Amino acid sequence: MAEIKWPEKRRLIGTKVPRVDGPDKATGRARYSQDINRPGMLHALILRSPYAHCRIKSLDLSEAQKAPGVRAIVTVGQINYTAGKKEGMPGWEFPVSVTDVGRELFYHGDEILAIAADTEEHARDALRLVKIEFEELPFIVKEETALRRRQGPSTVPGKDASNVLAGGSRTEGDPDGAKKAAEVLVRGTYGVPVITHCCLETHGLVAEWESPRSLTIWCTTQAVPATANQLQNFLAGHGITCNVRCITHHMGGGYGSKFGPDIQGYLAAVLAWLAKAPVKLFLERDEEHLAAGNRPSATATVTIGGSHDGTITVFEATTYGTPGVGRAAGVNIGILPYVYDVRNVRISTDIVRLNHGAARAMRAPAHPQNCFITECAVDDFANAAGLDPMEVRLKNLPQNDPAAVKNTPTSFLALRNTIYTDEIRIAAELSQWKKKWHPPGKGPTKGPWKHGIGMALHTWGGAGRADNDVFVTISSDGSVVVQCSTQDLGTGERTVLAIVVAEVLGLDPKDLTVVIGESQIGRSTGSGGSTTAPGTAPAALVAAINARDELFRKVAPKLGMKPENLVLEPNKITDKASGKSFTWRQFCARLGMDTVRGQGNWIPGLSNLGVGGVQVAEVWVDTETGVVRLEKIVAVQDCGMVINKLACESQVAGGVIMGINLAMFEEMIVDEQTGRMVNPDFEFYKLGGMLDMPEIIVHMHDMPERGVIGIGEPPTISTAAAIGNAICNALGVRVPRTPFSPDRVLAALHAKK
Amino acid sequence: MKNFTYYRPLSLEAAVALLDTRWGTTELLAGGTDLLDLQKEYIAQPDKVVSLTFIQDPVFTRIEVPQILPGTKPTVSIGAAVKIADIAEHAELKHLFPALTDAAAQVGGPQIRNMGTLGGNLCQRNRCWYFRDEHVLCLLKGGRRCFAADGENRYHAIFTKGHPCVIVHPSTLAPALIALGASVEVLGPNGKRTIELSKFFQAPTKPDQREHVLAPNEIVVRVLIPVEGLRNASYEVRHKQSYDWPLAQAAVAFRLIGGKATDVRIVLGHVAPTPHVATEAQKVVEGQTITRELAEKAGEAATAGAVPLSQNAYKVHLVKVAVKRALLLASGAQPDWVI
Repeated sequence: MAEIKWPEKRRLIGTKVPRVDGPDKATGRARYSQDINRPGMLHALILRSPYAHCRIKSLDLSEAQKAPGVRAIVTVGQINYTAGKKEGMPGWEFPVSVTDVGRELFYHGDEILAIAADTEEHARDALRLVKIEFEELPFIVKEETALRRRQGPSTVPGKDASNVLAGGSRTEGDPDGAKKAAEVLVRGTYGVPVITHCCLETHGLVAEWESPRSLTIWCTTQAVPATANQLQNFLAGHGITCNVRCITHHMGGGYGSKFGPDIQGYLAAVLAWLAKAPVKLFLERDEEHLAAGNRPSATATVTIGGSHDGTITVFEATTYGTPGVGRAAGVNIGILPYVYDVRNVRISTDIVRLNHGAARAMRAPAHPQNCFITECAVDDFANAAGLDPMEVRLKNLPQNDPAAVKNTPTSFLALRNTIYTDEIRIAAELSQWKKKWHPPGKGPTKGPWKHGIGMALHTWGGAGRADNDVFVTISSDGSVVVQCSTQDLGTGERTVLAIVVAEVLGLDPKDLTVVIGESQIGRSTGSGGSTTAPGTAPAALVAAINARDELFRKVAPKLGMKPENLVLEPNKITDKASGKSFTWRQFCARLGMDTVRGQGNWIPGLSNLGVGGVQVAEVWVDTETGVVRLEKIVAVQDCGMVINKLACESQVAGGVIMGINLAMFEEMIVDEQTGRMVNPDFEFYKLGGMLDMPEIIVHMHDMPERGVIGIGEPPTISTAAAIGNAICNALGVRVPRTPFSPDRVLAALHAKK
Repeated sequence: MKNFTYYRPLSLEAAVALLDTRWGTTELLAGGTDLLDLQKEYIAQPDKVVSLTFIQDPVFTRIEVPQILPGTKPTVSIGAAVKIADIAEHAELKHLFPALTDAAAQVGGPQIRNMGTLGGNLCQRNRCWYFRDEHVLCLLKGGRRCFAADGENRYHAIFTKGHPCVIVHPSTLAPALIALGASVEVLGPNGKRTIELSKFFQAPTKPDQREHVLAPNEIVVRVLIPVEGLRNASYEVRHKQSYDWPLAQAAVAFRLIGGKATDVRIVLGHVAPTPHVATEAQKVVEGQTITRELAEKAGEAATAGAVPLSQNAYKVHLVKVAVKRALLLASGAQPDWVI
């Protein structure tokens, strides 16, 4: 077989194609997991720890079991129970006195048990009839408190002595010498708080046993086959051998927080087993904030230094962050300083574990935090040196790696300087940087408002992954079905597959039927790391080419033609030898009773990894009230070969909006007296609305020669840093922490005076 | 939500007859934007819910603006069941009482404004996150302490002296209406009575108190606003522009005679357990020409007596700005803060 390449001339790829499922979503025809209702379906709810740290002293389910409509109860202790279990005896056949009494709960929202009842109301009433005595235990919910009590004892799970874990350190070059030699040296502290994913479709599923050997779940997940497998393994661990099928036709956001069945998946499957009825279990908004993942905080004290010409010679950062009860925090010392080439580096980080919900991957894990830490410091350095921070950025970019230029010319290593330089130039033009940038605090004013502009850079991977199967089936009526088990977590994945297959077969993407989000279709990898398009688009290309070739092989002999003489153009197949041509349908009709099925797997050479990205924020700050108004965000983004320009632009705008929320509004607030999150809602856990959004200008820096690279994560990374730098540029003073709320802006302004 | 019996009386009198003489057992339902949340969170657990949405009485449901003739002292009547959106969009109200209509236009989001009513806005419960968390036994739920006093209090009161519970009153219509000299007509088992709106609110400290002085078996029928030719304005500082509570609000009204402001009212919102009348600031402005300097001085004076909590000293500063801007707006000055 000839080497498979992306078509030289691309009719569809790289153009703006409306989502094939757009009308379904706009009209409500699209059924999300939360829309699924099954005959005889029960509703389940989870009882959660009211305390930040406690132990279950006693647990009495008798009244709840007798409550109207209650059909099944299962506890977390029971589903986790393995000690001393007999073969083939599920944990839930053991009494709660064995499985749950004495169990420790580590945060407000930690799961205790779930109840399934005929209605949601009955389930809720029953939850309130569960009688539990708790022994309250010491907790820590503030990072400063944990750092003060570094000696312990620990209040979080695990055997560590303290809540504070050393997260590693790294030294390169001679940071002390470089600090001494530096002509310009500045020190600052920068931080972002814990924020949550805020998926509009909350976590959860409907679980239905067709037989004791077969379970179907309609689950909102960003890893369809993996979720089915994990649930299958869990059930096997309890002696239930079965096949689990996972369906996720549409989903309302995941952002890294929906990679498996989760505890609610296990609970729902067991409840459905016990009740012998389908069970629906979706989290409520407060549960979503409390227990469905979050982005770790990060705080860094940075010393950055260099020469008057803007060369950064030293970057030193002492950092910490909290993953809640998790173990991995948001400062990844491997990627600090972020993006730039600095020779003398000293980084250390502490992981501060607290009694609140555990961190999970969240859209570009660790990157927004590290971008903020680095990019704010870079601007402060530029300001201290009296230089335009854009010029400082250009000066400190890493060079294109000479070895890579030779060996892997389309790799990010080979191109990084070129990409950033081009993107900074484009962003500068689109934002009128040269005209609008001014020394900090010295810009235009309108009454009490001061103008500011700021820039930040980012990077991401976005590689394709193997183990993605795409199937293309062509029938004699000309219809084409594209199948892949992968999921569309809002990114437009259906349309990606449709575009690639339609490109090869000369069809309109709208004419294809794309079936995704069903685990039994085949292999696919989770949508993490911006890998879905680069993982599935190459597979779709291979599958479409295989299907086309198979179609030619099957039909050509019936027409007395040779497959190699057939030329496919949009809706036209021509035989070079005879000059005869057919429409797509005419040609496919010759299949008769036969069908054609082409399979494709991911192969190397069609995708790539490593992207840059530049964002510029323009703001006005009301110096009397501390209110920040965002005027404009310019986002320049590469992702190798753009498949759907419309979806890409929309992804970038979405990433920017998420970054705006990190910059301006979001913060998990946990009360130190009660250990409870006080804002598990959308009232005081703030997210911007339309009135809070600026003009967002997106420029896709298309580099088709690089192959497909993921787009999901990078565009959210640098927005907060760019806004922070713009505010600093407006005021001449750094607001060190997000969200940039009036109180923080005023505090920075008043500290200056 | 706890089960309850639902009533939908057809007259105000019938509604009053359904009410209990103590708080907690019966709740009134109008737009539902507050009550439903309270019930879902088990903060309110009434046995009876009395819907007011089937009452057609025009006094209760309509805005009446009488003909305004020189020499008369007409009164505008706004029924308690009038939607906040209808107040915000009412052309004559906009002309007469921009303090009220501007405040109304910024309440919540469109859905809240289209459901929420004037009566509900005045009688809504506070938004304190400790009060609204069933598991926190605060003063208003029979506990022994106010958790906000030493806890997460960035959005709480700065006028805290004498207040064991440091909530802020959530209504933005109330400061405007108080500045405009409004009163409230209420109906109880013994008939109607009228309460000046400035005396309508109280700082609650225990479970059997609400944020207002109504008896448990009284209903707000309408709000009466005298048409006195006052210049008036409301200004609020918000973190978000969409769907958010103000961090601080100032509503002002005064008569301008010969360029001097008299009969000055300055009322602050979102800084105290009740709408807060800034008497010191009123004194600064009374009889004076409103200039930027005077407005600034009034802003300073408006913070007299403020004792902020650990996290909300910034609100003291915001009060100064809000008062200044509201005064300048009402005086007709070109606002330089609008971009």
